[in-house]
Amino acid sequence: MSAPLLRISGLVVLYGAIAAVRSVDLDVARGEVVAIVGPNGAGKTSLLSAIAGIVRPAGGEIAFAGRRLGGLVLEDVVKQGIALVPEGRHIFASLTVAENLALGATVRSDGEIGADIDRSYETFPILGSRRRQPAGQLSGGEQQQLAIARALLSRPKLLMLDEPSLGLAPTIVDQVYLLLRAIREQDVTILLVEQNAERAFAIADRVHVMSGGQFRLSGTPAELQRDPEFDAAYFGIRMGAA
Amino acid sequence: MDRIVQTLVDAVSVGGLYALTALGIGLIFGVMRLINFAHGELIMIAGYTLILLFGQPIAVAMIGAFVAAIVLALVTERVAFRPLRNADPATLLISSFALSFFLQKTLILLVGSRPKGIDFLPVLGRQIDVLGVRLQSLQIVTIVVSIALLGGLTWFLRATRFGLQMRAAAEDFRMARVLGVRANRVIAIAFAISGILAATVSCLVVAQTGIVQPRMGLQLVIIAFVGTVIGGLGSLSGAAIGGFLVGVATILLQALLPPDLRVFREAFVFVAVTLILLFRPQGLFPARGLRERI
Amino acid sequence: MRGESLRRLWPLVALIAILLAITLVASLAPDVLQRRATQGLVNLVAVVGLYVFVGNSGVLSFGNVAFMAVGAYVSALLTMKAAAKSVFLPDLPGWLAAVEWPVFPAAIAGGLSAALLAFLVGLPLMRLSGISASIATFAVLVVTYVVLGNWTSVTGGQNSLMGLPIYIDVWTAFAWAAAAVAIAFAYQETRSALLLRASREDEAAAEATGVHIVRHRLIAFTISGFLSGIAGVLLAHFLGTVRVETFYLDLTFLVVAMLVIGGMGSLTGAVAGAVVIAALTELLRQAEIGVAVGGVTLAAPPGLGDAILALIMLLIILFRPKGIAGGKEIAWPGGARDAPPAKRKGGTA
Repeated sequence: MSAPLLRISGLVVLYGAIAAVRSVDLDVARGEVVAIVGPNGAGKTSLLSAIAGIVRPAGGEIAFAGRRLGGLVLEDVVKQGIALVPEGRHIFASLTVAENLALGATVRSDGEIGADIDRSYETFPILGSRRRQPAGQLSGGEQQQLAIARALLSRPKLLMLDEPSLGLAPTIVDQVYLLLRAIREQDVTILLVEQNAERAFAIADRVHVMSGGQFRLSGTPAELQRDPEFDAAYFGIRMGAA
Repeated sequence: MDRIVQTLVDAVSVGGLYALTALGIGLIFGVMRLINFAHGELIMIAGYTLILLFGQPIAVAMIGAFVAAIVLALVTERVAFRPLRNADPATLLISSFALSFFLQKTLILLVGSRPKGIDFLPVLGRQIDVLGVRLQSLQIVTIVVSIALLGGLTWFLRATRFGLQMRAAAEDFRMARVLGVRANRVIAIAFAISGILAATVSCLVVAQTGIVQPRMGLQLVIIAFVGTVIGGLGSLSGAAIGGFLVGVATILLQALLPPDLRVFREAFVFVAVTLILLFRPQGLFPARGLRERI
Repeated sequence: MRGESLRRLWPLVALIAILLAITLVASLAPDVLQRRATQGLVNLVAVVGLYVFVGNSGVLSFGNVAFMAVGAYVSALLTMKAAAKSVFLPDLPGWLAAVEWPVFPAAIAGGLSAALLAFLVGLPLMRLSGISASIATFAVLVVTYVVLGNWTSVTGGQNSLMGLPIYIDVWTAFAWAAAAVAIAFAYQETRSALLLRASREDEAAAEATGVHIVRHRLIAFTISGFLSGIAGVLLAHFLGTVRVETFYLDLTFLVVAMLVIGGMGSLTGAVAGAVVIAALTELLRQAEIGVAVGGVTLAAPPGLGDAILALIMLLIILFRPKGIAGGKEIAWPGGARDAPPAKRKGGTA
């Protein structure tokens, strides 16, 4: 069994005195789709933020493609091959769609950026038709597509998405998840954070249920759906002793 | 009729100066959310460098002024502002205030506070005939230079890689970094450009007034800052337009107000900015991204 | 119960005691030092005035020196002899030209006028938050400066008004300083101030629980205006002259610097800032006079003091942003005590 693409051990993330993530272990194998589900405030976003380098963990280690990410500054993490689509999408509303995409390739210096952008317009036709419009004029679903396309432009090995379904209509979410399936087929590893467990289950190879800063349950979607403790774990009710 | 044209040209020329100054302030605010009061001191140091290098060929003196302003800008960023990168806006405000005073008082310590006269580019003092109206060539030069610089900056921002990164950083600094935009580089470029803008303004002002004094940047920065607020903090075009409008307004008010009220024109300007803050705090020309479809 | 009250009053008692001690020492010292101490006490009133607003609301105000100007001019106009007024201000309206008030009512009038101005500009401005509010207060400073500087018939415009009764000596200054500290202390223990400080930390939560932030800010701003006005009065009657140029950027910088260096978060900080700066300026004055070393006088160049003050302010911001007092009030022996705490909101973040 080859080494996992992403290996996290004993991760601790503190905000002041509050532990948002308390000792989490996580492995993501190449080509996998791993989902982390859980209620609001479970620490899911903090986990992704720590991997992306946005916050400095208070403890534990993050290894990516065999390399420790510990000392890296935020701007360098994407160079390693990790791309983040943050919660709320964070597209640059005053820049055009084309400019947003170009920014996705900031860390690349090869000559294929233009070709990749053209390919994005094929994969995401709506972006192609709006390439000169300010991104702020796109609808929520279109912005989500833009955020994903932008993240893909760095040719990441690992794509992380924080709540991709948040605030979007169900039909739009369908489209987004179809996209994720297609991305996965191109051999991009995906780490997904979702409140909507149903969506996550439909696409993930492995699911971790997180609440109160820790993983409560882990397994394949099938295993978890059969597990009577799933609801309790999802909603953060502690089983057994306090 | 001639008087009207002359007043208009004067207004546009002054407006240009304030637009350039406002841009210098707006650029830094865009990437750092910092109101750089010390921008006035960049203008000051460029002016004093002209005095220092007086006697050298004009080109040397001017290059020296530009270098001085850029270096001071980069040094202040590195020493005074970088440690405060994540501080709250109030702390940033106070620190730029303190830095401005420190630089000013240190200069006074070194060379005294009396204004010094300098005959800089006297050729620009000549009057020329444009379409039958007598105009100062300096005013024409100011307008041309302002337009050129504005154009250059616009080109830089829209057509170059770094310009794109700067615009992205100005809108959402953290997201830009997540994409790999280097924070230090973008901020340093912003400061360097603000140094260029300051030096340009300084040369034009020194050519016009013939005087260099420690407070020379202060008046400009205060008014230009008002312009940035009126135009919309966070929007570069807003800053330029706001600065331009305020500059034009001060000249027009001077010309149009009855004599007793003329001295109060600065008060009018500041009342105007307060009203803008109250009723349209995002400014007259807010950054485009602020209007999103849900 | 009595122990608890004494504990609560301790910062007030301690601060006034310190000021009293300084005043006592100064009153026995040569004239020059007495003047320095008096100036320091006057500055203290100014810093305390600024603190009342900035410390409680968290909003930096650049406008308080405008209130000082108003206080100074009002008191000047009320106390100047009619003869002097006819020389300096020949166009003064009749009744104003004739009045000659005693100094104390004139001082109160100065403070109240400043408070009135603060209230009136505060009505629209306190709605603004953060940077916008600070910018607006800066506008107040500039507008006041321009108006006072050009309203020649009433203020003499750019010219100085001279011949004011000089009644501020070190003891009078102490009395006013102690009063200012007491007022500031009493205010910051009120419910309004507590609510204001609570809202500093979380505006949304405060509003949601019905706290009228604007109202409480206005109260703080008005009291701050009053004290700043008094500071202006004291300055005017210490120097004996009033000039609009005094009440502009340099003084604003000085007062803000004192507050930042001492610490914006507590009354102790305000006092500490004034005391430290007074001591520093005295030291620098000595340095500028020079020290005779073997026939040569080593002296600091003029202007060094200002540069050093600005440098210290910068260093404090970079390395100890909370200032000397660090946001705390002077400690009861046995334990430090935070500046009167904001109400902690219960529940999760």
